[in-house]
Amino acid sequence: MSGAKRSSSSVPEPSAAGESRLRAWARDRLGWDDLAHMAEKKRVPVHRYTLFYYLGGMALFLFLVQVATGILLLLYYRPSSAEAFESVQYVMADVPFGWLIRSIHSWGANLFVGVVFAHLISVFFLKAYRAPREMTWVSGGVLLFLALGFGFSGYLLPWNTLAFFATKVGTDVPAQIPGIGHLLSRILRGGSDVTGATLSRFYGIHVAILPAITTLILGAHLLLVQRHGMSVPRSVEGKTRRTISFVPDFLMRDMVGWLAAVGLLAALAAFFPWELGVKADPFAPAPAGIRPEWYFLWMFQGLKYLPSKIAGIPGETLGVFFFGALAAAVVAVPWLDRRGKRGIAVAAIVILALAAVLTVLALLPVPSAGPK
Amino acid sequence: MRYPFFAVLFLAAAAGLAQPARPAPPPAVNGCIECHTVLDDPRITPPAKLFADDVHAKAGFTCVFCHGGDARQESQEDAHDPKKGFIGKPRPQQIPQLCGKCHSDPALMKQYDPSQRVDQLSEYQTSGHGKALARGDQTVAQCASCHGAHGIQPVKDSRSPVSPTKVAQTCNHCHGDAALMAAHKLPSDPYAKWSRSVHYRARVERADLSAPTCNSCHGNHGAAPPQVGSVTNVCGTCHVTFADQFKLSPHWEAFKELGLPGCVTCHENHEIVKPSEAFLAEGDQGKCSSCHEAGSPGARAAAAMRTDLVGLDGEIQQASRLVDRATEAGMEVSKVRFDLVAASNALTKARSQIHLFRPSAVHEAVAEGLKVARKAAAGGQARLKERDFRQRGLFVSLGLILLTIVALVVKIRERGPGPEEPGDPGNRREPS
Repeated sequence: MSGAKRSSSSVPEPSAAGESRLRAWARDRLGWDDLAHMAEKKRVPVHRYTLFYYLGGMALFLFLVQVATGILLLLYYRPSSAEAFESVQYVMADVPFGWLIRSIHSWGANLFVGVVFAHLISVFFLKAYRAPREMTWVSGGVLLFLALGFGFSGYLLPWNTLAFFATKVGTDVPAQIPGIGHLLSRILRGGSDVTGATLSRFYGIHVAILPAITTLILGAHLLLVQRHGMSVPRSVEGKTRRTISFVPDFLMRDMVGWLAAVGLLAALAAFFPWELGVKADPFAPAPAGIRPEWYFLWMFQGLKYLPSKIAGIPGETLGVFFFGALAAAVVAVPWLDRRGKRGIAVAAIVILALAAVLTVLALLPVPSAGPK
Repeated sequence: MRYPFFAVLFLAAAAGLAQPARPAPPPAVNGCIECHTVLDDPRITPPAKLFADDVHAKAGFTCVFCHGGDARQESQEDAHDPKKGFIGKPRPQQIPQLCGKCHSDPALMKQYDPSQRVDQLSEYQTSGHGKALARGDQTVAQCASCHGAHGIQPVKDSRSPVSPTKVAQTCNHCHGDAALMAAHKLPSDPYAKWSRSVHYRARVERADLSAPTCNSCHGNHGAAPPQVGSVTNVCGTCHVTFADQFKLSPHWEAFKELGLPGCVTCHENHEIVKPSEAFLAEGDQGKCSSCHEAGSPGARAAAAMRTDLVGLDGEIQQASRLVDRATEAGMEVSKVRFDLVAASNALTKARSQIHLFRPSAVHEAVAEGLKVARKAAAGGQARLKERDFRQRGLFVSLGLILLTIVALVVKIRERGPGPEEPGDPGNRREPS
C-alpha cells in the first residue's frame, strides 16, 4: 500500500483538524502510519507463560534508564584518578538530585543485569531459541555479556578502594590464559597494573565502545524479535489461545512493570543511596573483603576453591577456560540442544545451582584470623 | 646498651687483664667449644652451645677474649692456665671493665660498627647500677644482666632481651622482684603501673615503637630516675609543645620552688593514664584541687578551663552523633566529617593549652573548635533534613506512580482479556 493511498483513505475527523495536519505531515515524511500499522497488527499470545514475555521489555526499559542516567552523570564525571572520586562525591553531595541519578544508575545496573539473567534463563527453559530464532538467542547472549562488561567497566569509575582492588583481581583473570593472557591483561589495564590509565580506558569502554556495540546488537535483537514474533512454548504450541495487541494492551501491561521498577529504584535510592566508599589509594594494602559485583561472585569464589594445579595445569587457568567454554556454550545453546533430550536442561540446572551456592559462600562473612 | 658488651669480655680475656687493651687477632682454633660442648655439664655446656649464635662469635671473637686461657691447648690444665690470663667466670665487678675494653675503644669499634657509641662504660659508671656495683653491691645489673652472657644478639634483633619490645620485661626481671627491690628501698611495681599506662598501650598494643619504654625516660647504660628538676625536660623530649607551654606557665617557677617534679605531679610517672577534663575538677581524679582550695583563683581558673573543654567536647559529640545518623541514612558526609576532624583537632589544641594554665588561652582555642563543631553539626542536620526531603519526595512519587499503575490496570481491565479464538470457550468475559 502506498503512502499516498493511505493518506487519502484516512482523512481525520474535523474535530481533530490540528492533530490531523501534524499526523499527515508525519505520515508523508516519516512513514509514521506504517509504524503505527505495524504496532497495531502485532499480537502477543496469552498463555500461562506470558509473564516471562515482560522480562525482555523490562530489560530494555532498564537499559534505557541506564542510558539516560549515565548521560546525566557524564555531565559531572571526570575520568582521571585525581578527580574521578571527587567528581562522584560532588555529584552525591552537591549536585541537585545528583544522589538520585547516581543511585538509580548504580541500583539500576544491578537490576538490569538481574533482569537480563532472568530473561535469558526464562527463554532457555521455555526453549524460545528454537528455529528460526537461533540468532535472536545468540544476539541475546551477546547482550548479556555486554551487560556484564558494562557492570565490570562501570564498577571502577568511582575510583574507590573496593572497586580499585576488585578491578585488580578482575583484570588478573585474563592473565591466566596461556600465551596471550598477559597481553590481554595489559590491554585491559593500559599497563602492567591498575592505574589512572586503566580508569581512562574503562571509561572509554563504558561510555563509548560498549554502548556502540550494544546499540547495534540490541537493534538486531529487537529486529529479530519483531521479525519472528513471540515464541510460544512447546507445551502450549498448537493449542487454541487468546492474543492481545502489542499496542496498547501488551505495552500497558509492560508499563505497569516499568512504573513498578521506577518506584523500586527510587525507593532504593532514597533509603539506600549507593555508597561511595573511600578513595582508592594504589599504595595502600588491599583491604579485607574485596569482592566484585554479585554477578561475578560465583566465578570469583569458584577460582578460590580451585587447587593450584590440576593434572599439571594451573587451576586458575583451567577455571578461566571453563568459564570461557561456558560462555561459548551459552551462545551455542540452540545447536547444543537435542530435541527430546534433557541433558542441556539438567546441565543448566546444575550450573545455576553451583553458581547460587558459590555466590552464597562468597557472601558469607569471612572469619577473622584470631589467636589459635 | 646498643652494642653487645661481651666482645670486650672476649677481647680482654684473650689479652689478659694486665695486658694492653687492644686485643690480638682471633686465633684460628677455638678448642674451648670442642671440649665444652661434649662435656654435657649443665654449668658449662649450654653457654658453649649458645655462643655459636653470639654476635661476637660471628665477628670472629672466641671464648679466650673474655675468659682468657689458651684455646689451642688440648689439656684442661694448659687451656685454663692462669699464667695465660685465664680468669674463668668473670665476677660482676669485672664485667663492665671487661666489656669496656673493646666497647670503649673507638678505633676497635669502628672496624665493626662505625656508628656504634663507645660511652657505655662511662655512662654505666654514672648510673644507679654502676654506682651500687662500685660500692660492692653484686645484686645490681651489669652488662650481662641485660644483654646476656653468651648468645648475645644485637639490640635490633628481636631475640635480644634489650630489643625495643623486650626491654621492659628485662628491667622488670629485677625491678619487679619485691624482695630484691625492698632491699634497695625501691618500689617493685613500675612495670605493673607502666602496663596500665597510655605509653604501654601505644607501644605494646599498637606496636608503636616511638612510645616510651623504661630506657626512654631513665636512660639505658646510665639508667637512673630523672631528677625532680629534669622531669619536664625528659617528658619534653617527646611532648615538646606541652613542655614549652608548661615552662611559660606560672606553675614552672612555683613547682621549682615547691620542689614538685613537673609533669609527674599531675600525670604520675609510670601509670600515665589518658588525661581528661576530670583532672580539672574536684574529686578523686582532680589534680588542681590537690593544691588549689575551692574558691581560690587557681580553682576558679581550673573550673573555667574545664567548662570550656567540656562544652566543646559535648558539642563535638553531639555533631558526631548527627553525622553518624546521616551516615547510617546513606548520606554523603565526607565534607562534614572533615569539619568534625577539624573540631577534634581544635579540642586537642585547647587541651594542650591547659599547660599554659591561662583560661583565656584555652577559651580562644575552644572558640575556634566550637565554630567548626557547630558547622559540622549544621552539616549533619542539613543532611538529615535532606534525607527527610528525599523520603517525602519518594512517597509523593510512589503515590503518583501507584495512581498511574491503578489507572493503567483499570484501562487494561476495561479493554478485556483480548479476542477469543474458536475452541477456547473458557475465560470469556462480558464486555464492561
